[in-house]
Amino acid sequence: MKRARRFALLGSLCSLLWAQQFKFNLDHLAGKAADVVDISLNGPMLQLAARFLDSKDPDEATVKKLLNGLEGIYVKSFEFKNTGAWTPADLDAVRNQLKTPEWMKMVGYTSTEDGETAEIYIHMDDKKINGVAVLVTAPKELTVVNIAGAVDLDSLSSFGGHWGIPKVVPPPHKK
Amino acid sequence: MDWLEQELKQALDRKEPSPDFAERVRRRTRGDGFRTALWPQRWLAAAAAVIVLAGVGLGYREYQGQVARQQVMLAFRIAGAKVNHIQTQVKERMR
Repeated sequence: MKRARRFALLGSLCSLLWAQQFKFNLDHLAGKAADVVDISLNGPMLQLAARFLDSKDPDEATVKKLLNGLEGIYVKSFEFKNTGAWTPADLDAVRNQLKTPEWMKMVGYTSTEDGETAEIYIHMDDKKINGVAVLVTAPKELTVVNIAGAVDLDSLSSFGGHWGIPKVVPPPHKK
Repeated sequence: MDWLEQELKQALDRKEPSPDFAERVRRRTRGDGFRTALWPQRWLAAAAAVIVLAGVGLGYREYQGQVARQQVMLAFRIAGAKVNHIQTQVKERMR
């Protein structure tokens, strides 16, 4: 009984320290990629980062606000030199984990023109968003993001146009 | 003289110390003095070690914080750009 309690306590401690809501299972792609971004920041690391963010800098101040309520940020992004470096099975391994009741697909699109796919999933807990998963693929790119915690998607989206990232404005509708 | 007096006399008789007694005492006191003289130096060395370790710890914490800050900013750049791109594409398709 005591042992079970210890394991339960250890488990809850681990979950506090490691808030990632699904596994990426994409490490095998790192060798094929020309450029890899791998970010794993759990709650304590986010708190540490928040202490070093400059409140006088508008972008950093915004990020600092967004960090409130977040439990972890996990990003894996691969850019490849050639097409075919990643397979749909790689993405399915991630996608299958998002087929549980607590995950809900919010948006998704596929572009046959440029071979791009993108999906946003939200993790619901008691009618509140407490996590986001973003899957984006292009023929030479694969990006998976998991933000655990209370995420404000609009604020996140508003970062387009900041830090030298051009804000994507849809072209005028042709009639 | 009865046996008690004899016992007392024997017990209180003057006894000469062993020939090396003085040397042993001198050696012992010299050793203690040496040890006592080293105490402040040892404390200073320990304090210096603690200060150096604390400095290294703080420096490492600062380094970790800066790395975490950069990673958070990069993560939000990537996530923000992707979400913004998806929203724009979806809006465009919904027109």
